[in-house]
Amino acid sequence: MLFSTVAPASTSTSTSRDADSIPQHHPARDQFAPIPIPLRSLLPHSKLSLGCPILSRLLSGGLPVGTLTEISGESATGKSQLCLQLLLSSLLPPCLGGLAASSLLILPSLLPFSSLLKRLSRLPSPLHPSPLDHIFVASAHSPDHLMMLLYQADRLFHKSPSLMPPLRLIVVDSIAAIFRSEFDNNFGDLKARTGMFFRVAAKLKEQASRFGAVAVVTNQVVDVMGPEMAGDVGNNHHMGPALLSSGRMVAPAMGLSWANCVNTRIFLSRNDEMAAVGVNGEDMAACTRRSMEVVFAPHVPRSSCEFVIRKDGVFGLDIERQ
Amino acid sequence: MEISNLPISPSIRSKLLSKGYTSLSSLSSISPSFLAQELSVKLEEAVEVLRAVSDTTTSKSAHIPYGIIPGAVTAWDMLSEEQMQRHISTGCEDLDAILGGGIHCKEVTEVGGVPGIGKTQLGIQLAVNVQIPVEYGGLGGKAVYIDTEGSFMAERAYQIAEGCIYDILDKFPSNSREFLSCKERLQVNNFLAGIFYFRICSYTEQIAVINYLENFLTEHGDVKLVIIDSVTFHFRQDFDDLAQRTRVLGGLSLRLMKLSKMFNLAVVLLNQVTTKFTDGSFQLTLALGDSWSHSCTNRIILHWNGNERCAYIEKSPSVPSASAPYLVTGKGIRGINSNFKRARIM
Repeated sequence: MLFSTVAPASTSTSTSRDADSIPQHHPARDQFAPIPIPLRSLLPHSKLSLGCPILSRLLSGGLPVGTLTEISGESATGKSQLCLQLLLSSLLPPCLGGLAASSLLILPSLLPFSSLLKRLSRLPSPLHPSPLDHIFVASAHSPDHLMMLLYQADRLFHKSPSLMPPLRLIVVDSIAAIFRSEFDNNFGDLKARTGMFFRVAAKLKEQASRFGAVAVVTNQVVDVMGPEMAGDVGNNHHMGPALLSSGRMVAPAMGLSWANCVNTRIFLSRNDEMAAVGVNGEDMAACTRRSMEVVFAPHVPRSSCEFVIRKDGVFGLDIERQ
Repeated sequence: MEISNLPISPSIRSKLLSKGYTSLSSLSSISPSFLAQELSVKLEEAVEVLRAVSDTTTSKSAHIPYGIIPGAVTAWDMLSEEQMQRHISTGCEDLDAILGGGIHCKEVTEVGGVPGIGKTQLGIQLAVNVQIPVEYGGLGGKAVYIDTEGSFMAERAYQIAEGCIYDILDKFPSNSREFLSCKERLQVNNFLAGIFYFRICSYTEQIAVINYLENFLTEHGDVKLVIIDSVTFHFRQDFDDLAQRTRVLGGLSLRLMKLSKMFNLAVVLLNQVTTKFTDGSFQLTLALGDSWSHSCTNRIILHWNGNERCAYIEKSPSVPSASAPYLVTGKGIRGINSNFKRARIM
C-alpha cells in the first residue's frame, strides 16, 4: 500500500508561521497552484529554548520550529533530563524562549512512571502554576504504534488556545528503543525498517512544519571501529570527525538511513577524568566532564560546550569561568 | 520594423504597434499575463505572441534548414550558445574551476552527500549566487527552492546573502559610475525576495509542484535556478511497488530536464546517500537506485576527506572527474584559500 498523506491533496503548501493558527487552504483555482512562502515572513525563526541561556546560545537561540532534532548519547549522559527540561520550557511564552504550548512525551513503556512523575514535579517552573496539566505522556511499543499515536496527536495540534495551550512539542525518548524490538536482522526486514524511519520522520516533520511545532527524539549510540577497518559499513568514518564518549569512538544508533532523517543532531558525551593527582602520585579525585556537541544543524556550525547536571536541571558552563 | 515580420495575426500586430511595442527586444522580458492585460487578449494568444518572438530571435540567419526538421539547430550555433552561457558560481573558486565555471544552465545537476556535509548550504549558496547582477559576473536571475526536508532556514539564507554582498562590494570598486545603479539592488531583502520557497510534505505534493513548475516558470521568466532539497526524502518510505517508484522518478527527471532546456535554467537536485554491497564490501552510493543514476546530466558527490570537506565530480559530459576541497563558513560556501578575515569555520 502506498503511503498517503493525512491532509487532503488540495492543501496548498502555503503555511502560516504563526504558531497559534491553523494553515489556510488556498482558494481553489482550476488546478493545484502552490504559493511560494515569502522568506521575510519566516524571519525571525521561532526557537524553543533549551532552558539554559548558554546551551541555547550554542544553538543560536534553541531548537528551530518546524524541524526534527535528535539528541544522542550514551546512557546516563543527560538525554532524558534535557528532554524534561524542554517539556517545561515549551510552556513558557515566546518572549522567554518557549512556545506557550502543551507537549507530548512518548516513551517505549510507562513502567518507570512514578520516578518520571517525581522528576517532572521536582523541576522548577516558577512561571507556571500547574505544568503537569499540559504535559501528555504516552507509550509506544512498536514503530506502527508510534505512527498511530502521531496520527492521534493531530487533533491536539488543532486545539484552540482559549481551551488549552495547543500541542507544539513532541518528544520521543528513545526512538532506538521503540524500533529495537520490532525487526529481525534479515534483508527484507531491514528494508522495511528503513522505510519506517522515513515514515516516522516525515510525519514528525510534517506536523512540525504545518503547526509551527518542534519535534525531538533521543537516540542511543553504538561503538564503531577505527578507520583501519575500511570498507566495513559498521564504522562511520565517512560521517566526518569522530564522536568520543567515555574514551571510545561511538556513533548514533540506527545507522546512515536514520541520520538522513533528522535536521539537527546533538551529541551528549561524558568523559571521566582525573582532576587532581595526590602527593604520592595516586589519583585524588575523578570528575565527569560532560559535553554537548552540535554535530550538524541547519543554522549553526559544528560546535560544543560543556554542561553539568544538577538537581534543578541541565546547565551549560561558560568556558571563561573555568 | 521587426514586429511586422512576426508570424502573428494582423489584429494582434496592430494592437502591439498601437501600444508602442515596435521592436522584438521590447517584448523580451514581459510575462504572458501582463501582455494579455496590455493588449486585452486571451492568455493563450499572448503566449503565442511571445513564443513567436523567441523563435524569431533564436533563428539568426535565413539559411538554417528549417524545412528539413523544424526546430533543428546547427552544432556551430549550439557551440557558440554554450560558450556564451554564464555559469552559477558555487562560492568556492576551486569547485567552480573544476566545474568549468560553475553550475551549468540547461542541465540537471545532482549533488549528493552524507548528512551534515553541506548539501543544503550549497543549495542556499546557489540560490543566492544566481541573483548576483550581470554587471558583477552573475546571472541576475531568481531561484525556486523546493524544500522537502525542512532544512532550509531563512536566517541562514540571510547570513549567506549578507556574506555574498559583502564579498562583491569587497571585490569590485564601489565608486565607478556603472556600478552605482546596480549597487542599490545589492540589498539582502532583495536577495531574500528573489528566492521562491516551497515547502513540501509528501511525495504527492512533490509531484504536484514539479507539474506546476511549467506554469510558474512561464509567469516568472527571470528564474534561472530550480533546487529540490532533497529529491529523495519522500521516496524512501517503503514503496511496495518499486517499479512504480522508478517510473514516477523517471517521469520527474524527464520533466525537470525538459524544464531546464525550455526555460534555459539550471536544475540542481540534492540527494542522500545509502550503502550498497558491491565487490564484497559496503560502499557509499547515492540513493534512489541505479536507474535514477542515469537521470541527471551531472553528478557531484560531497564527502569527508579526513576532517576536510571535498567535492568530487563523478559524472559530467563536459569536464573531467576531479576533486576540490571547500569550506562551509558563516558567510556560506567558500574555498580554502579565501580571505579568512571574518569567516567562522564550521
